[in-house]
Amino acid sequence: MSALFDNLQVLFQGLALGSIYALVALGFVLIIRATNVVNFAQGDFAMLGAYAIVTFLVGLQLPYVVSIILALLVMAVFGMLFNLGVYYPLRNRSFLPVIISTLGASIFLQNTVLAVFGPQPKPLDKILNIDGIQVGGVFLDSQYLVILVVTLFAVAFQYFFFEHTLLGKKLQATSQDKDMARLLGIPVATMIAITFIYSAALGGLAGILVAPILFVSIGLGSIIALKAFAATIIGGFGDVTGAIVGGLLLGVIESFAAYYISVPYKDAYAFLALFLFLLLRPQGIFGERVSEKA
Amino acid sequence: MKAEELKAPSAGASQGKLIALLVLGALIPLLPFLIPVSQYTLNIFMNAVTYAVAVLGMVVVLGYTGQINLAQAAFFGIGAYSVALGTVGWGLSFWMAAGSGIVAAGLAGLVLGLTTLRLGGHYLAMITISFQQIFDLILVNWVEVTHGPDGIAGIPRPSVFGFVLADDRFYLLFCVAVLYACIAFVWWLPSTRLGRAMRAVRENELAAEVVGVHTLRTKVFAFTLSAMLGGIAGALYAAGFAYISPDNSSFARSIEFLTMVLLGGVQSPFGGAMGTVLLILLPEWLRFLKQIYLAIYGLAVILIMVFLPEGIWGLVRGGWRKLVPERVPPRRSVPPLDFDAGRVADGKPIMRITGLQKHFGGLRAVDGIDLEVARGSVHALIGPNGSGKTTSLNVVNGIYSPTGGQIVFEGVDVTAMKPHQRAGLGMGRTFQNIRLFQSLSALENVMVGAQRDNNPIPGGRRGLEDRALAALDFVGMGENVHMLVKNMPYGHQRMVEIARTLAGHPSLLLLDEPGAGLNQTEKQELVALLLRLRGHGLTIFLIDHDMGVVEKVSDRITVLNFGKKIAEGAPAEVLRQPDVIAAYLGEAPVHGPA
Amino acid sequence: MAPDKHKAKIAARSGYLTNFMGEQSMAVRILGRAMAAAFAALALSALAADPIHIGLVNETTGPNAEAGQYTVNGARLALEEINAAGGVLGRQLELRIEDNQSTNPGTVLAYSKLLGEGGISAIIGPIRSTQVQAASPTIAKSSIPSVIGGTDPSLTKVNNPWIFRARPNDGYSSRVIADFAVNSLKLKKVAIVHSTDAFGSGGMAALTSALKAVGVTPVFVQGYTNNSQDFTPVVLALKKSGADVLATYMTNSPDVGIFAKQLRQLGVTIPWVGSPSLVTDTAMKLAGSALHSTFAIADFTPGANPEAKAYAEKYKAKYKLDPDVYSAWAYGALHLLAAAMEQAKSAEPAAVRTGLLNTCGFKSVEGKYCFDKNGDALHGYNVVKNENGRVVFIKTITFESNK
Repeated sequence: MSALFDNLQVLFQGLALGSIYALVALGFVLIIRATNVVNFAQGDFAMLGAYAIVTFLVGLQLPYVVSIILALLVMAVFGMLFNLGVYYPLRNRSFLPVIISTLGASIFLQNTVLAVFGPQPKPLDKILNIDGIQVGGVFLDSQYLVILVVTLFAVAFQYFFFEHTLLGKKLQATSQDKDMARLLGIPVATMIAITFIYSAALGGLAGILVAPILFVSIGLGSIIALKAFAATIIGGFGDVTGAIVGGLLLGVIESFAAYYISVPYKDAYAFLALFLFLLLRPQGIFGERVSEKA
Repeated sequence: MKAEELKAPSAGASQGKLIALLVLGALIPLLPFLIPVSQYTLNIFMNAVTYAVAVLGMVVVLGYTGQINLAQAAFFGIGAYSVALGTVGWGLSFWMAAGSGIVAAGLAGLVLGLTTLRLGGHYLAMITISFQQIFDLILVNWVEVTHGPDGIAGIPRPSVFGFVLADDRFYLLFCVAVLYACIAFVWWLPSTRLGRAMRAVRENELAAEVVGVHTLRTKVFAFTLSAMLGGIAGALYAAGFAYISPDNSSFARSIEFLTMVLLGGVQSPFGGAMGTVLLILLPEWLRFLKQIYLAIYGLAVILIMVFLPEGIWGLVRGGWRKLVPERVPPRRSVPPLDFDAGRVADGKPIMRITGLQKHFGGLRAVDGIDLEVARGSVHALIGPNGSGKTTSLNVVNGIYSPTGGQIVFEGVDVTAMKPHQRAGLGMGRTFQNIRLFQSLSALENVMVGAQRDNNPIPGGRRGLEDRALAALDFVGMGENVHMLVKNMPYGHQRMVEIARTLAGHPSLLLLDEPGAGLNQTEKQELVALLLRLRGHGLTIFLIDHDMGVVEKVSDRITVLNFGKKIAEGAPAEVLRQPDVIAAYLGEAPVHGPA
Repeated sequence: MAPDKHKAKIAARSGYLTNFMGEQSMAVRILGRAMAAAFAALALSALAADPIHIGLVNETTGPNAEAGQYTVNGARLALEEINAAGGVLGRQLELRIEDNQSTNPGTVLAYSKLLGEGGISAIIGPIRSTQVQAASPTIAKSSIPSVIGGTDPSLTKVNNPWIFRARPNDGYSSRVIADFAVNSLKLKKVAIVHSTDAFGSGGMAALTSALKAVGVTPVFVQGYTNNSQDFTPVVLALKKSGADVLATYMTNSPDVGIFAKQLRQLGVTIPWVGSPSLVTDTAMKLAGSALHSTFAIADFTPGANPEAKAYAEKYKAKYKLDPDVYSAWAYGALHLLAAAMEQAKSAEPAAVRTGLLNTCGFKSVEGKYCFDKNGDALHGYNVVKNENGRVVFIKTITFESNK
C-alpha cells in the first residue's frame, strides 16, 4: 500500500513540476511560431514575474489578486519592451543573431534584478491559505494543485483564443506565413508584438505560481526554461499540445527516474530524454517532419 | 573581401607590413623577460591566451560553418581534465595527457557533429546545451573518477626538451606560440577545400549539398576541429593554473566563449582572439562597476548583435579598408572551359525515371512519371502552376526522397542517394531563387562547384581556380571575380550560379526556371548561353515558364499536369496539342510563381 | 616601533643608491651609506604612521555576492574597532578588497592582483573551499599568510605553510554532528542527506567516518544536486530507511527551504541535525515553521560566548542585519590578525605567520582560537536549536587540538 502511495506521490510531484515546464513551454512555443526563433530569456520572464509579485504583495502589501493582476500587467509591458529591444532590430536577420541576443537579454535581466533586489532569495505565501491536502497516503500541495488547474485554464484559454477569436486567427496566420499575412493586410509587426506581450505575461504567470514553492530568486527561471525548451522539442517543435504533453512527460520522467535510479543526476534525465528524442524522433511526439533546411 | 585577404600578399609593400606584424606579434610574449611584469598581469594573459584557443574553435564552427555550439566549455573541460587526471592521477607526461585529451575532445565533437545529420539550428543549440549540462553533472557527481567538485590540484607544468616551463613567463611564451600556430591554422583554413565547404554550408546548406559538398561530413569536421581547439585550450589552462574544477567548464563558460567570439568577430581568428582578450580584460577594468558589470555584459551582447554583426574586428577591418583601399590582385588568363573531359558517348539515355511518385500527406505532387533524357539533348519540363515540375526536379536531384519509383542516372540507380553524391556523379543544378553563397566571392562560389567529388580536373588549388575562372569566362563573368556575389546585380548572380554548376563538369545540367526574374535583354543572353551549352554537347534538363525560351532551346518537351505526364515530344508538336493548351488556358502567365 | 616592511624598502633603496654612486671610491661609498642610513632614519619617522594593508579576497559579484557582502560588513566592523582603538603597532589598518567574481579562476586573479600591488601584510581569503584550492599554489608562492574560511579539512594539510584557517574545519563539524546525535540525542540510525558539491560531499565523507569512529554506520546516504526543485524522491526513500535522526550537509538556502517543507508535508518528524546552512537567516526565512525544532551546528552563534554576544549587538546596530557566520568569521579573522601582529611586534608577513602559529587562547566571536601545526585555529562547533524561528544556543562541543 505504501509503495503505491509513494508512486502516486512521485507521480503527482512529477505532474506538478511538469505543468510548470508546460506553462513556460507554452510561452516558448508562441514565440517560436510567431518568429521562428527560440527565446532564451523565456525563463527570465518567469523570474521577473516572481519578483513583480513579491514587490506588490510583500513590498506594497497589496491583496494577492490585485498583486497578480498588476504583476501580469507589468509583464505585458515588459514583453512589449523586450520585443522592441531584443527582437525587433534583428527581425530581418537569421535566427542565430536573435538567439544570441536573447541570451544576452537573459544575462542582462538576471544581473539587473540582482543589482536591484539583492541576491537573497525571498519567500512568498501560497495563493490558498492551506498548505495542502492529505489523500490517503499522498500529500497534495495546494500550490501545486493551483498550478495544475491554472495550466489547464491557460491551455483552454489559448485554444479558444487562437481558434475562435479574430485576433487569435490573425496571430495564427502571422505565425504560419508572414508574407501571406502581410498581403492580407494583417499588421505583422503588431501581431509579433502581441505575441511577445502574451508570452511574457504567460511566463510571468508561471513565475508567480511557482514562486511560493521554489522561492523568488535570480536563477528561478533558468533551469525551468531549459527543461521547458526540452519539453517543446519532445512535444514537437512549435506545437501547442506538444508543449503541454512534453512538459508533463518530462516532469514525470524526471520524478520517477530520480526516485528509482539516482537523485543527483535528476537534471540529466531530462536532457538524456531530449537527446534520445532528437536522435530517434526529432519531430517530437506531435510534430511534423523536421525540415529546417536552408 | 575574404578572398583577397586570404591571398598571399603579392606586393613587397604588404609583405613588409606582414613581416612587421609578425615581428610585433613575436615580440609581445617576450616583453615579460625585458620589463618586470606582475604575477597578476601574467595570470591575466595566461587566462586570455588559453581561452583564445578555445574561442578559435568557435570561429571554425560558428563563424565559418554557421553551426551554433554552446558546449565549447565542455570540450575545454575534456582537455583540462585529461591533463589533470593524466598527470596527477596516472603519472602520465603532460604531452601524453594533453594528446589524449585533445583526441577525446575531438571524438566528443565528432559525435556531437553527427547529430547535425538530422538537426540544425535550434535543435543544435539545445543538443549542445544538453551535452554541456550532462558533462557538468558527471564532473560533479562522478567523484571517484573526476574528484568531483573539489577539482584537481597540483597539475605540473610540461617540459620541453627537458626544460620544465615552471617559470610563468616561459609557460606564457609556450602558450602564445600554440595560440599563434592555431591562429595561423584557422586563418589558413577558409582558403582550403574544407574551409570553402564550411563557408558554403554556412551560407546555404542546401545549395552546398546540391553542388557536391558533403555537408554532414563538413559539419562533423567543423565540430571535431572546434572541439579539438577547445581541448588544446583546456590542456594549456590546466597546466597553466595547476588547478581545475567543474566550474571551469560550466555552461556559463560556454556562453562566455560565445560572447567572446561574437564581440571580436565571429568570422576571423584575429577577431576571436581580440574578443577574448577584451572580455578577459573588461571585467578587470570594469571592476568598479561591481554588481551591474554583468548586466552591462549582457546588454553589450545585444548591442553587438544589433550594431556590430561582424564584431569589433569587422569594424577595425572596415576602418582599415577605408584608409588603405584594397588592391585587387590581377587575375590570370586561363584556357577556355573544357566540356569534353570524362564525357561518355554511348548513345544511351543519360537519365531514366520510372514510376516516380512524391506525395506530401494526401497531396500527390508527383504521381507516377516515366521519363527519359537523351544524352546531348535539351529536355524541357513544363506545366501549369502546381503541376509538380519543381517537385520533380527536387526528387531527381535528391532534395526530396521519392514516395515511389526509380531514378537511374548514368547507369547508376541514384534513387536513394544524397544530393552531393548525385553531384559527384555529374548531376549539376541551379535554383529558381538563386542560391549562391552570398558572402563568398564569385570565384569562391564557382570553386565550391569545381571541388565536387570525381571532377575530372587537375588537382590542387591551381586546378580548382583555373576551372572556376574558365567557367566564369564562359558565362561572361570573367571580370570582377573577387566581388562578393551579394553585391552583384541579379542577372549576374544567375550567371555565376550557372558557372558554379559548369565548373563541376556536369554531364547533366538541371536548370530550375533559369529565366525567372530576368529582363528581356538578359533573357536573350540566357537563350544564347543555353544554345552555346547545347552546342558543346551538354545535356540539359530544364523547367521554365517562358515558352519563348523553352521553344528556342529545347529538343524535347514533357508536359505535366496534376503530377502526371500529359504529353511529350518535339516542341512544335507538343505545344500544339489540345490538352496541353487546355491545361495552360486561363492559368498560364508567362512569368508566374511556380 | 619601526615597521619592517619600510625598513626593507628603504634598505633596498639605499643599496641602490650606493650602487648608483658606487665604484668610485671607498670613501664615497661609505659616505653614501652613511647618508642613506641618515635618510632612512628620517624617512622612518615620517612613515611610521603608514597603514598596514590587509587584503580581502571576496565574492563581491557573482552568485555568492550575498555572502560576500556580509563578509565585507564583518571585516569593516573589525577594522573600525581596531583603528578606533589606535590601530596595530601604532599604525592604522587598511583593507584592500579584491573581487573574485565567485569563481575559482577569479580567485587566482584576485590573489595575483593583490600580490602584484605589493605591500600586503596578510590576506583574508575566501570562505569557499574550492576557491582556496584554486588559489593554493598562488598562496604558497606569495609568502604572505592567508587566513581562510573554507572548511574542507584537506586545505590546511597540503603542506602550504601560508594557509591558516579561522574557522573550524568539516572534520570537526562532522565529529560534532556525530557526537551530538549519538551521545546527546542517543540516536543511532543516522540518515545523511548532502549536496553533491564540494562542501556537501566532503561533509558527507567526514561524517561517515566520524560516525564509524563511534561505531555507527548510517542507514541512508543520499546526495542531490544544488538547486533541486523537488525532494520528494529523497524524502520518500528517507522515510523507508527507518532512520531515527537526520544529518544534512546542504549548501543553498532554497534547497534547505524546499527540502524542509517537503519533509514536513510527507510527515517526517525525526530530529534533524544539520550543517550551519540550516540556521542562516535566509534559510530560516524561506523554510519558516518547517525548520522549527531542528538542530544545527554553527561555528558562530550570538549566544555562545561573551565576544559573540557583543559582536552580535554591534553588528545589528551598525548594519540593521542579523549577524551570521559570513560576517562573523571575517570579523574574527581580522581581529586574529591584529592580535598576531601585536604579538609578533611586526607586520612583516613572515613575522605575522609566526605570530599566528604562536596564537593560542585568543578569544573572539568563534570562541578560543588556538593554532595547531596545520594552521587550524578552531577545533569545535556550537550546537544550536531553532526554537520557533529563534536560534538558541545549546552547547559547545570542542575537541583537543593536535598541537
